[in-house]
This record gives sequence, C-alpha cells and structure tokens, in this order.
Amino acid sequence: MTQETQIPAQDLPHDAALTHFAKSRRNQLIRAAVIFAGIALVPLAVRDTYLQNVMILTLLYAAVSQCWNILGGYCGQISLGHALYFGIGAYATSVLYVNYAVLPWFGMALGGVLSAAVALLVGKLTFRLKGHYFAIATIVIAEIGLLLVHNWDYVGGALGIQWPITGDSWATLQFARNKLPYFYFALVFLIVTWLITFKIEDSSWGYGWRAVKDNPEAAESLGIEVFRSKMAAAALSAFFTAVGGGFYAAFVAYIDPESVMSFRFSLLFALPAVLGGIGTLWGATLGAALLIPLTEITRSYLGGSGSGIDLIIYGGLIMLVSLMKPEGLLSLFQFRKGRPA
Amino acid sequence: MNRRELFKHGAAVASAVAIMGSIRDASAQAQEIPIGIVYPMSGANAQIGVDARHAFETAVNIVNAAHDVKLPTAANAGLAGLGGAKIKLIFADHQGDPQKGRAEAERLITQDKVVAIIGSFHSSVSNTVSATCERYTVPFVCADSSSPSLHRRNLKYFFRPAAHDEMFTSAMFDFLDAQKAKGNKIETIALFYEDTIFGTDSSNVQRKLAADRGYKVVSDIKYKSNSPSLTAEVQQLKTANADVLMPSSYTTDAILLVKTMSELGYKPKNMIAQAAGFSEKSVFDAVGDKLAGLISRASFSVDLGVKRPSAKYVNDLFRSRADRDLNDNTSRQLMALLILADAIDRAKSIEGPKIRDALAATNIPGENTFMPWKQVKFGEDGQNVDASPVLIQYSGKGFKTIFPAAVAAGDPIWPMNT
Amino acid sequence: MTAQALLQVLVSGLLMGLLYALIAAGLSLIFGLMDVVNFAHGEFLMLAMYATFGFVFATHLDPVIGIPLVAALLFIVGAFCYAAVVRYAMRAKANIGMVQIFSTFGLAIFLQGAAQYFLTPDYRSIQASWFGDKTLNLAGVFLPWPQILGGLVSVMAFGALYLLIARTDLGKALEATREDQGAVALVGIDKNRVFAIGWGLGAALVGLAGGVLAIFYYIHPQVGAAFGGIAYVTVALGGFGSVFGALVAGVIVGLVEAVTASILPPALKNIGIYALYLGVLFFRPSGLFGKL
Repeated sequence: MTQETQIPAQDLPHDAALTHFAKSRRNQLIRAAVIFAGIALVPLAVRDTYLQNVMILTLLYAAVSQCWNILGGYCGQISLGHALYFGIGAYATSVLYVNYAVLPWFGMALGGVLSAAVALLVGKLTFRLKGHYFAIATIVIAEIGLLLVHNWDYVGGALGIQWPITGDSWATLQFARNKLPYFYFALVFLIVTWLITFKIEDSSWGYGWRAVKDNPEAAESLGIEVFRSKMAAAALSAFFTAVGGGFYAAFVAYIDPESVMSFRFSLLFALPAVLGGIGTLWGATLGAALLIPLTEITRSYLGGSGSGIDLIIYGGLIMLVSLMKPEGLLSLFQFRKGRPA
Repeated sequence: MNRRELFKHGAAVASAVAIMGSIRDASAQAQEIPIGIVYPMSGANAQIGVDARHAFETAVNIVNAAHDVKLPTAANAGLAGLGGAKIKLIFADHQGDPQKGRAEAERLITQDKVVAIIGSFHSSVSNTVSATCERYTVPFVCADSSSPSLHRRNLKYFFRPAAHDEMFTSAMFDFLDAQKAKGNKIETIALFYEDTIFGTDSSNVQRKLAADRGYKVVSDIKYKSNSPSLTAEVQQLKTANADVLMPSSYTTDAILLVKTMSELGYKPKNMIAQAAGFSEKSVFDAVGDKLAGLISRASFSVDLGVKRPSAKYVNDLFRSRADRDLNDNTSRQLMALLILADAIDRAKSIEGPKIRDALAATNIPGENTFMPWKQVKFGEDGQNVDASPVLIQYSGKGFKTIFPAAVAAGDPIWPMNT
Repeated sequence: MTAQALLQVLVSGLLMGLLYALIAAGLSLIFGLMDVVNFAHGEFLMLAMYATFGFVFATHLDPVIGIPLVAALLFIVGAFCYAAVVRYAMRAKANIGMVQIFSTFGLAIFLQGAAQYFLTPDYRSIQASWFGDKTLNLAGVFLPWPQILGGLVSVMAFGALYLLIARTDLGKALEATREDQGAVALVGIDKNRVFAIGWGLGAALVGLAGGVLAIFYYIHPQVGAAFGGIAYVTVALGGFGSVFGALVAGVIVGLVEAVTASILPPALKNIGIYALYLGVLFFRPSGLFGKL
C-alpha cells in the first residue's frame, strides 16, 4: 500500500515522480476513508461485548503504536520506553478526575502536554545515543518513572487509582455496559494519529528523517535541523501516547503502576508497528489487527488451563512474523499492486 | 484488505462463539449452572491459579455429588433448590492485569452467562472484576483478596466471606498483647513488605495498630518485589533485631528472605507473617528447616479437623487432587464456592439480583463451615465480620493453631529463636 | 550504620556484582560479535537453573558437579537458538535491529510458556548441597559459600574468556568475524559457524551463572526477568561488546545496588543503578568501555 512513498526518488524522473507522488497521496486518502468507514461499521455486525472489547483494544494499540511509529519508525529512534508517556497520560487523567473532578477530556489534554514536556527532556538527554544505547536508555528512564509512581503516595502508590462507578456519560467517558462509545473514541483516535502520520510523510520533517535514515552521513549536514524535528516528533509521539493512556484509564476505570507503566507496555506499543511494517502508514494498524485479537483470544480460550500454552503461541507468533516478514506483514499486500516504476 | 481481514476474523470468531454459545444453551437445559472463576493462570503467579483450580474443582465435587459432611449443599447431589441442578466452572486467566480481569469478567458474563464470579487473588484485579460485576448486576464473591479498600466502595454485588487485612492484623496484635500479658517482653517490631498493593495495605494496618497498642516500629522496610537480592534489606533487619519481624511477602521473596537471613546469620527472635508466601508449600519445601517457630495468620489449618470434622474431610478431598494440604488461599477459595452455591440454592434462581439477595441473607453458623469462623453473615458492605482469623505456627513438620485460645490446639513456641 | 554492617553490605554487593557480571558476560560477548541484543538472555538463565535442578533431581549428585554439564548443555541451546532463530533474523534486509529485538523477545516469551507447560509454574529449589546454606563468618561479616563460589566461578570464567579471545585460533576467528564479517569469508572462516559458537559460548557463560544461582535461589519460569533487566543495564553500562566492561560494570552495579538499598528506601534501590547508568551515558555515550 505504501511502497509508493518508499521509492527512492532517484528511480524516477523528477517531474514524473512528483505527479505520481501527488496521485498516490490522493489514493491513499481515499483508501483510508474506505477502510476507516468499513471499520466503523463492524460493531453493527459484531455485537458481542467481548469481541467489541477486543476491537477497542486493537484500535487503541493500533493508535498508540502509530504514535510510537512516528518516533520509532519514521525517525528511526527505537524507543522501548513509551509506557512512560502512556502512564503519564493515564495518571494525569485519573488524578485530575478522581481528586479534582476535572473531566477526562481535559485530563487527557493536560496529560498529553505534560508527557510531551517529559519527552523533550528525555530527547535532550538521549538523542545523541546510538542504537541499542538509546533503546536501553529509554527502558531505564521508563523504569525510573515506574519506580517513582510506585512509591509516590499522592498518586496512590501501589494501590493505584479507582474511578468511581457512575452513570453513563460522554462528559466523564464512563459507560457501564455500552462499548460503542469507547469503540468510536478509539477509532477517531486512530484516524487522528493516522492523519498526522500521513501529513508527516509529506513534510520537510519527513524528508529530513528519511534522508538521515538512508544516509547517516547526511545527518551531519542536516544536523541541527534534524535534531529539532526529532524533538518535535518525540513531543508529538508522547502527546498522543498520553492521550491513549488517558483513554485507557477511563476505559478500565482503575489504574495501578504495573497495569499502565510496566515494560511490557513499551514492547506492546512497538510490536504492532514492527510486525505490520515499521515506518509505514498502515503497518501499526495491520500489526495490531493481527496481534491483539490473537493474544486476547488465545488467552481467553486457552489461558484458563494454566498450562502456559497461550504464551507459547504468542511468543512463537512474534518470532515467526519477525523472521519471515522482517519488513512487516504489510509487504504481503504489495505484490497485488505491482511496482509502479 | 484491512477491513475485510478484520471483518473475516471477527465473523469467524463470532460464529465460533455462537456455536459454543448454543452448546452451552443446550447444557443449561440439563441444569448446569455456570460460575466464572477469574484467576492468574499464567505469568508470575500461575501456581496460584493452578492451586485455585484444584480448590474450586474440589468444591464443585462437594456440591454436585452427595457427601456425608456438615457443609452447605453437600448432603445431596446438585442444588436441591433448583431441582438438583449441577454447577459448572468456567475458568479465565487474568495474568495479574486489572484490564484483562475486567475483560474476562465481561466475557464470562455476556458470553458464558455465568450467574456469579469468584476471584481473583490480586486485589487490583478483584477491584476491576467486582466493578464489572456491579455493572452487570452479577454477584462477585471475593475469595482471597484481602485489601480492606475492596469492601468500602458501596458495591451491592460484592461479598467477601473471609477476613481482610485489618481483621488479620488485629488478630496478630491481639496475640502479641496476650503474650505480653503472660510476661514476655515484646517492645519492638520490624515491618518488611513488598511494594505492591498487598504489601502496602498490610503494612499500613500493621503500622497503625503498632502505634495504637504501644509497640515501637524499629525497622520499616518496603522492598521491591522479585528482587535478585535482599542482602542489604536483611542487613537492616538484622541491625534493628526487633522482637517481632512481620513480613508481607509472596512466595519468591519469602524464599529469598529466609535464605538471606540464614546466610547473614540473622535469626529473628519471632516472626509473624501475613500469610501469602508463608502459607505456600513451595516455601516450606525450600526453606522449611529454617522456619520452625514461624507464626502466620491464616484462614485455615489442618489441625482444625480436631474441632471441625469437616475440615479434615475437605482437606483429604483436596489433597487427593492437588497433592498438598489446603492453605490460606485454597481454603478460602473452596469455602467461597460453597457459600455461593448455598446462596444459589436458596435463591432458587439463576438471576443475578436474586442470587445477590440470597447472598445478602446468608446465615451459615461456623460449625457448618470447615473454617474457624464464627459464622458467615454479610454486612451492608458485603464483608463477613465474623470470619475470625486464626494464627498458626509451623513446628518444622506441620502447622498448629495457636490463637485464639478457643480454637487453639496448643501453646505457642515463644520465642522462635533465642 | 556500623563499620561492620557497611562492610557486610559492600562485600555482599561485590559478590552479587560478580554474579551479575557473569550473567552479563554472555550477553556482551554475543553483542560484540554480531551486534545483536539477546532479549531471551534471562530465559537462558532460567533454563540453566532448571537444568541444574533436573541434574540434581535425576542423579542426586551435588549441583556443583552438574555446573560444567549445564554449561555444556546451554552451549548447545545457544548454538541451536542461533541456528534456528537468530540466523534468520540476521538475514533480514529491512529494519534488522527491530527484527533481532523482537525475534529474541518472542523467543523469550516462548521459552517462558514452554517452561510453564513442561515444568509447571511451581517454585522449585535445590535442598541440601555442599555449598547451600553454608556461610563463612569473618569477624561478623557473613559470606555465603554459594556466593563465594559464584564469585570464583565468575572470575575464572572471565579469565578463561580472556585466554580464549587472546590466545586461541577460535578467539582470533571470533575477533576477525567481529571486525569484518565479509572479509573473513575470504580467508575461509565460516561466518555462521563462528556465530553459532559465539552464541553457544554466550549461553554457556549464563549456564555457569544459572548453575551457581540454582544452589541458593528459587527456580521458576519467570525467574529470568529479575536478572535479565539488570543484565541489560550492566552490559550497556560496561559498553556493548566489551566483555571486560561487563565485569567492571557488573561489580559496580552490585555495589551500587547494595549501597542504594542501605541509603534510600530499598523499594527504590534500582534507581541508584539507573541513575548511575544515565550519568555515565551522559559523559560516555558508549558506556564505560564501549567501542562504538
């Protein structure tokens, strides 16, 4: 689907490339509209609460993974610490709502801003680190955040924060049994993150990052400009990850440090994008659409036995996909279009 | 493609679910009452789930087959109130994650039409599972989460037959007071607890009661659970050398704590544990030789069989399945299902609100349980205030009930180490 | 804190640090050789502990006797994992870094599930052994024998590793492959074979650590997680690929952990390690001895 944008520009004559590019951008948008409209219709056919629940998680992980993709995929900064931003969003939203009756909508926005600020700080510290040093530094910073929240009584410490059980309301994002509002919130969230990614692909930032990824030496000449845009990408990525965290808190109506900030969340945010196709428009969505239903359903229908078979399947699947389709599952769909050049 | 993929996937699952659902409908006609069991079945606490499974299956056997023992719903096969209907368990895995627990509860309620749910070991998961049950007007019986905050949320569908941390801890301090009255010198206390909801709740109560009753907390150590090493922590305990060491730890840290104490040559004068790890067979298999004299709070002890014949009977049944004795957790799980079955029996209905009302009206005298409890009778908040906890002491071979005097099988060894 | 208590904390931290170093050594070796971070390293440790447990269970011999066998077994496990999984991850043309991370991460989850499936999630421990539960009392400072053993094994393993890398043909082949993967093919070195041996060695090192650890630690499908996290920080602190950086970093981590737990609330003890790590990275972005 997205190979058009990945064709190195030198393969095509300049003008033809531009026309082709504009056309493919338009097609992308139309395709996206059709796909998202299709997804929006799914709950009308699938009314089972459990499956709707799985779909909500799928959309949420797709969206957050899309945020991760902005930094990890397009910028090439492999962050394994995004649970920190998710947790900041979840905690800001919960603390403001439960302690100060601030509606979660504002909580998510404030959490996002706070998270973006933290991301700028983290970026300042870590962007000069390379490869695995960067990845491990992000893990370590997220772990510090987890430890601090775990031991901070003001935000509930290990006890976490319980949302009061109230009537259904869009204002407080609380719905007792109805899953549809969460579904559509998550879908809109995914669309927003998709559009942002779409926009970035055709921006000077996007070109700068691609240039840097393809040719590290070019980084030297682009230097400061790229550093700034990377900082902006980190802030953007963190902002929306935090919105996802705030939504998650409202959805589960209870959070504790382990359940929103542990390392496995950091991996879960990167995994869909990696499995689907890193640095692509649809990779995160495709990866989440495969990974989340599969893990949820294997746990639900096999996990009750206590034999660990669900972990075997989950781990085996991750290994298989990453080995057999290292460029992501999205590449499965590319042969249908034929190469346009 | 994406949409179609999702659609196809959803449709396939939906039809599979529909098939499973229709099978269940058929079985409902054969009078099977589904009850949801939400536990950690994989991950760090998988063994808890495996043991719980044995406990609940033992309880199902007591309900569904005729047993000559003085327990609710045991006498005849199935539930008399529903024409001999049998109960059936549906297990779900929450992996210690509140979100997964909530999703599983919702699945059990909407797909499997369970009439009630029992759970969930982790207090954090019991929190979300009980909130979900409340939203679907399905009763939640909290078997083994002991966080006091759980019954203080004004839930109408929450019931906890067993004691919570404040009750357990009160028993510990009652015991200390009694020892003091006998002339033993007890002045200082060391708290050692993991940085989780369990450790936090437990230590908060212990700290408060220590202050109220005039004991000095000389060491207050919150440690990170599943640490590779506890040497520095134990060194602090050793330096403080309190009269009583009170650990709140799960299996892994309990083993490591005892091993590290022994390595550093620290023999605590006395140890009173908030059960958890210190009621698990694996801990005594690993470090039992260093724990002679350990006291733990408990909901159950095998020697209760002397006073309550049903305790021995149930323990033997459980043993034949699980190859271990009932402990603090498994006894509470098993009893919780019997209490729930009793309520369904009296409700003569499988509707949530009716079972809820029957649970609220529960009145089981202590001798009809296999627990040391005075009775089972729920307060407005769903807490059974008469779930009298006991203290048990490990002799090096087995446990002996030592407190309160009414159910004690003998005098405690005090101090543990001199 | 008395001087004695301080000494106790430092000595305990040192012994634990040597063990951390031994665990991290294999990870660092593999990274240095081929630029791969093995996220299943903690699970290798778990397998080694189970293997030791199984050895004692089957033969009723002392676990110490089993340690070389366990290391040998882990060598096979490591080489097999390379041949069955990592080899393919290395072939990836696109985003190779992520493929390696997630294929070994998938392997980690797979191994945890398999351990739970075949060995049950019950907690095991080895009961009586020559070193288990025995402690050396030096004027009130207690040195547990299993950890002294661990320290000795660690020091010996690093010594052997030094000799191997510096003095043997295999070491030269490892070094050459690490320098230039393409060129070694020209001189007739089979890259895959060298990598498989590298993975085998890395796993055998963690096998030694697992064998020692099994004597005094509980054994459980998830036990790798507690040590795995520390191993990554240790390797990054020492500098990826620097085996001797891992030794120094392991000891530092052990000491800092022990001291932090004595000063701060112990629940925060990892903060000391993490802060130190970030601090070092700030001045040396490639760790203490990194070559990047």
